[in-house]
Amino acid sequence: MKRGALALAALLSLTACAPAAPPAAAAPDIARTAEGRPDLNGLWQALVPANWDVRPHEARPPPLAMLGALQAEPPNPGIIEGGEIPYLPAALEQQKHNYANRFELDPERKCFMPGVPRATYMPQPFQIVQSGEHVMIAYQFANAVREIHMKDPGPAPTSFWMGWSVGRWDGDTLVVQVTDQKPETWLDRAGNFHSGELRVEERYTVMSPNHLLYEATLEDPKVYSRPWKISFPLYRRLETNAELLEFKCVPFAEEILYGHLRKGYVGERAEESR
Amino acid sequence: MRLPVLSFVGSCAVAIAACAAAQAPAVFDASYAPPRLPSGKPDLQGLWSNALVTPLERPEDLADKPFLTEEEAREYQAKRVAAVNRDRRPDDPEADLLLAYNDFWWDSGTSGVRTLRTSLIVDPPNGRIPELTEAAKQRIAATPRPSADGPETQGLSTRCIYYATAGPPMLPGSYNNNYQLVQTDDHVLIVNEMVHETRLIPLDGRPFPPDEIRQWRGSSRGHWDGDTLVVETRNRRADTPFRGSSENMHLTERFTRVADDVLLYEFTVNDPEAFTQPWTVQMTSQRVEGELMYEYACHEGNKSMAGILGGARAAERRAAAPP
Repeated sequence: MKRGALALAALLSLTACAPAAPPAAAAPDIARTAEGRPDLNGLWQALVPANWDVRPHEARPPPLAMLGALQAEPPNPGIIEGGEIPYLPAALEQQKHNYANRFELDPERKCFMPGVPRATYMPQPFQIVQSGEHVMIAYQFANAVREIHMKDPGPAPTSFWMGWSVGRWDGDTLVVQVTDQKPETWLDRAGNFHSGELRVEERYTVMSPNHLLYEATLEDPKVYSRPWKISFPLYRRLETNAELLEFKCVPFAEEILYGHLRKGYVGERAEESR
Repeated sequence: MRLPVLSFVGSCAVAIAACAAAQAPAVFDASYAPPRLPSGKPDLQGLWSNALVTPLERPEDLADKPFLTEEEAREYQAKRVAAVNRDRRPDDPEADLLLAYNDFWWDSGTSGVRTLRTSLIVDPPNGRIPELTEAAKQRIAATPRPSADGPETQGLSTRCIYYATAGPPMLPGSYNNNYQLVQTDDHVLIVNEMVHETRLIPLDGRPFPPDEIRQWRGSSRGHWDGDTLVVETRNRRADTPFRGSSENMHLTERFTRVADDVLLYEFTVNDPEAFTQPWTVQMTSQRVEGELMYEYACHEGNKSMAGILGGARAAERRAAAPP
């Protein structure tokens, strides 16, 4: 127990002083499935506030002044190795445009499935369900779900909001290649983005009974000049009554999506309804 | 095939729901041994389909006939498949317009339930939903009809919030009938193709959430009864009634693997506030091999809402100022 606490303290200090990943040395006595694979089952959640902005950032005001400190952005030293996203010049302009209009354009606002890796650091839990060669990840936000195909299913027949995930084991690490995502999803609320050519390599490694290390390398030749990497720990939700609950957010988003088409609507979007 | 079916009827006619819950219908091989997981539990995992042409309620012309013979079943299936085919073209252009999707888009199935029953409802024995209580009739009468006044007055499926066929309870629908089941020692995950609905069912004996936590699909808890997975669901919201149910519906589903390619799926609706008696459905989910289930991004791709609401506004403008 004490050793575990020390290891955790060491880990936290590592995370605090460098955005780089803590070492992924898996404990030899980790829980394993009947097949001898690391057991990743459980309800997990990221604590890092990267959904506001994956880049290092200071505290920022909320989208509306009337919210005061409510929904203000907590600061974060960032989750990116090297601290910055290597945008190509045109993509950097696009990112600035996205940022300037982020509260209007962010697909999270519309309750769209968040894509990968954003789904991993949404401020809501997700459950890994692993049984033999079946691996599924169910996310609380927008009821998103994806299957990790452990047998290569061949090329994706089309693109998907949660992508096309093909998994394999690299020693004790679950490695998932995610391709064929929709270009509409963003990486965070700050307008960081990708194209439909994004390829994500995710790595899930057991750090302790109650922590996973999550690493993701993003490659997108249309948007980034080189692959870049994020990493952060995932924490097991330990409340005895913790479970994935419904977060069906469609009703929350209908006003911004369809409000201007309401009977008797009077407002600035009236022209759009014609 | 007919004799075992009849013997099943004979032995179960008195208490058919109890019997359905206790043993698989005799059309299935009683000596079937399901594959098992390392935990020793039956392996129910994989992709299953609820595409069935058998109606939920027994048609009136079959009122006295709970079962079909195999030959009758083939005829009935062929008739149903022809009847729902959307590629038929009516002569009337207005009617033709209403057939917006051709048959390619539909997937209602081509076969009936394996038990050769004429309805999915097995109890009450007449194969019909029991009569609603007076309170339920009044509640339904007072429920506003869907309208195009705004998004929240549209139907839940048009809004991509809830589809009755994904349930729970699940029922055959005209498309998106697949579901994927994954089991661990302490959870079962069921992902429905319809609106990528996911249901994580704890098997660890935990209590239901507090009564004030209400969900569109309720809250589910599971346990094993021998080789049958039993899932209890409560805590539904009042605005997702199932065939007239109240928010206090208590649903019990049972999943039993009765053949390599058949998952027997049964459910009992217990809701004295809404129904004058409990009722039970028994259907067969068919194994899907060699195919994958794809993401159905209903809300993300929803063009219907803007079309319906925008169309209604255009109609109002036209009525106010005819061209």
